[in-house]
Amino acid sequence: MQMNLRRLAGAVLISSTALASAAAAQELRVGLASEPTSMDPQFHNLATNTQVRLNIFESLIEQDPLQNLEPSLATEWEALDDTTWRFRLREGVAFHDGTPFTARDVIYSVCRIPLVENSPSSFSIYTQSISGMEAEDDHTVIITTNGPNPLLPVESSTWAIMSADASGAEAEVTFADGTCEGLGEVPQQQAFNSPELVIGTGPYKLQESTRGAQIVLTRNDDYWGEAPDWETIRLRPITSAGPRVAALLSGDVDIIESPPIQDLPRLEREGFSVVDTLSNRVIYIALHQEGPHSGITGTDGENPLLDARVREAISLSINRDAIVERIMSGYATSAGELLPPPMFGTSGRPADPYDPDRAKELLAEAGYADGFGLVLGTPNDRYINDEQVAQAVAQMLNRVGIRVTVDAATASQFFSRRNNQEYPAFLAGWGASSGEMSSPLKSLVASFDPDAGMGVTNAGRYSNAEMDELLQKAMVTIDDEERSQLLQQAETIVLDEHGIVPLHYERSAWAMSPKISYEPRVDQYTLAYAVRNAEAD
Amino acid sequence: MTDTTPTPAPLPAPAPARAQSPLLRIARNFAEDRLAVLGLLLFLAVVVLAFAAPWIAPQNPYDLAQLDIMDGGLPPGEASFSGMTYWLGTDQQGRDMLSAILYGLRISLVVALVSLACAITIGVVAGMAAAWFGGRVDSLIMRVVDLQLSFPSILVALILLALFGRGVDKVIIALVIVQWAYYARTVRSSAIVERRKDYIEAARCLALSHRRIMFRHLLPNCVPPLIVVATVQIAQAIALEATLSFLGVGVPITEPSLGLLIANGYDYLLSGRYWVSVFPGIALLITIVAINLVGDRLRDIFNPRLQK
Repeated sequence: MQMNLRRLAGAVLISSTALASAAAAQELRVGLASEPTSMDPQFHNLATNTQVRLNIFESLIEQDPLQNLEPSLATEWEALDDTTWRFRLREGVAFHDGTPFTARDVIYSVCRIPLVENSPSSFSIYTQSISGMEAEDDHTVIITTNGPNPLLPVESSTWAIMSADASGAEAEVTFADGTCEGLGEVPQQQAFNSPELVIGTGPYKLQESTRGAQIVLTRNDDYWGEAPDWETIRLRPITSAGPRVAALLSGDVDIIESPPIQDLPRLEREGFSVVDTLSNRVIYIALHQEGPHSGITGTDGENPLLDARVREAISLSINRDAIVERIMSGYATSAGELLPPPMFGTSGRPADPYDPDRAKELLAEAGYADGFGLVLGTPNDRYINDEQVAQAVAQMLNRVGIRVTVDAATASQFFSRRNNQEYPAFLAGWGASSGEMSSPLKSLVASFDPDAGMGVTNAGRYSNAEMDELLQKAMVTIDDEERSQLLQQAETIVLDEHGIVPLHYERSAWAMSPKISYEPRVDQYTLAYAVRNAEAD
Repeated sequence: MTDTTPTPAPLPAPAPARAQSPLLRIARNFAEDRLAVLGLLLFLAVVVLAFAAPWIAPQNPYDLAQLDIMDGGLPPGEASFSGMTYWLGTDQQGRDMLSAILYGLRISLVVALVSLACAITIGVVAGMAAAWFGGRVDSLIMRVVDLQLSFPSILVALILLALFGRGVDKVIIALVIVQWAYYARTVRSSAIVERRKDYIEAARCLALSHRRIMFRHLLPNCVPPLIVVATVQIAQAIALEATLSFLGVGVPITEPSLGLLIANGYDYLLSGRYWVSVFPGIALLITIVAINLVGDRLRDIFNPRLQK
């Protein structure tokens, strides 16, 4: 009898603690590495902003963790001909304020994107191919483009669909021949500081956004899709890596993004779960290929980097596996391409081998047996262990006789200096937000032509007419198989002449309390609504 | 013209006779404090080790070709593939920590000493001028000094380095700019006291040039407080350089000073690679404590109120 009583008391105790933790588990606290620059979902094309807005605003099409396209607000889409697309919209979807979602909201949202003022990086690059939109009925949108654009469905995943009513649009919104009408007064970024305007269709509503402190989201109980596990979500920006880890260790947050890789073994030892996946970001070294450069010494003013043999020597002298193992603690994969296979447009080309002897031979053949001096620029706070990787590369190049000095700078300084072509060689990274090869080719190695949106990040000024032609052709080919072939050919041309030297693909990691789970994403987004409560299952 | 010939003769003559005894007295006085002697010995040891680094360090940590990242992150006492033993372990680049600390000390000391010399020179000239000429010159110089001292030195140095960029020379310039004001103020206050004394009046009556009275007669008598401030400031300069490098605006990453070594290891503290941060930290601590011990004792000696 006594035994039973004790057991009963124990059971009561256990069940009451379980209840308490269940109540606490209704809230998810996330430690973010950076803070969104605005709550306006169309203001800034930045991963930090996008991963927050996806909780509140949805798009026609969404990307799954592997960047495959999935229906979201659109249920089906198809190309009617080379320049016309039809999107069928989901019925019965309502915005947070209760108004129904219709084709008018889609047209309004696309129309607003180019009208957002002072955007540091506008989403208009994803809408510029559209010349007109038409609502066939309330739940069908016909989009016409000013040329064949196979990427339209991918691009549509970047358009945040906003409520036309909440934004003050007129009853009729039209978009024909490149002009929009009936938009009313378009609200600008500052207006989104108050939650009243932040009206989307997503699984969460914005409750509070305090700059530098936290963003609080509450569950949208009328959400059309699967209900997320958390009643409220608290997003806390903790920009320094150390304090972010400490916050997780002390239980102040439940999950953190980009934990420092050197701390992962310890986190795992202490019972936290760590998930990681290959990201779509490649870390590369770009080489100056446009005339002489003052950062190259010991060559009488010549630029050895113009010689493909020298570029190959640089690639062969880098021991990528050692960098992955030692500097990245295994949280990276040696790269042979600009996007990790098997993503769209990759050829499966292996990474260049480590062969310092062959590198020395190539340098001697090119007439630089005694090497030369080279400045390697790198950011020191942008990519995972960027400065350390640059130092390791410098170390390896020094061994074959290229006397490298590392010039590290904070990201903002680095990027402006890089764009001024101040570095003869620099280390940087590229994440393909569209998840396919045209993205890195277009930005990193296409001939520099900013007006056409080509080679905008090609500060090394690599240029190959044949490659440009293949890329242009791929960009207007609707057929997926054919486009993939063209992209592979274009990429192979670049890599065969070592126009750019890929180092590794970053792996992105998340660390979390064992009570929750998260499916790692290739695009590195931390989507709070997709975090699952492992106890509830 | 006339006064150039007699002076060289009288000056050297009384100098040995008078200088001998106070120096000896100071030395004896200094030796009374065992801790200060220990500090002095430690400091001398650090200086010798730092400047002999190229000959005694097992590796040249600034020569990238000598490093191998396959040796990265080895704990203290581990041997490399080539058979070299890393007594204090290696950092993630495969740098031998012992060598890196010796070279890092050298950079820290050179930066501190060079900036000290420059700052003293500027500070003394400015302070003397302010005290001697008084009036507008004084107000002008001292307002600049006040302005300078009203900002925290780390803030000023950070701003300067953000403008200049990285580099040992730039760190030195930044340190000189943040430090000269201390010397200027110290020299001025003691010079103002001294200039009212009879020997200065006598010098004036001889119609000696301003420069001569200032630097030959006035300055030597302002030296004691200057020495005290200098010893405190040199420790400050080392700490400031370390802070700047720790924050990533100081010396270049391929030539780490102590502060940068600590910063490099800081990321690994949580993951158990304590040696990358801790050993350079200890080296920095020993250096600064040693200098402060010496400085404290000197201050006591030169402080007339504490004199027995």
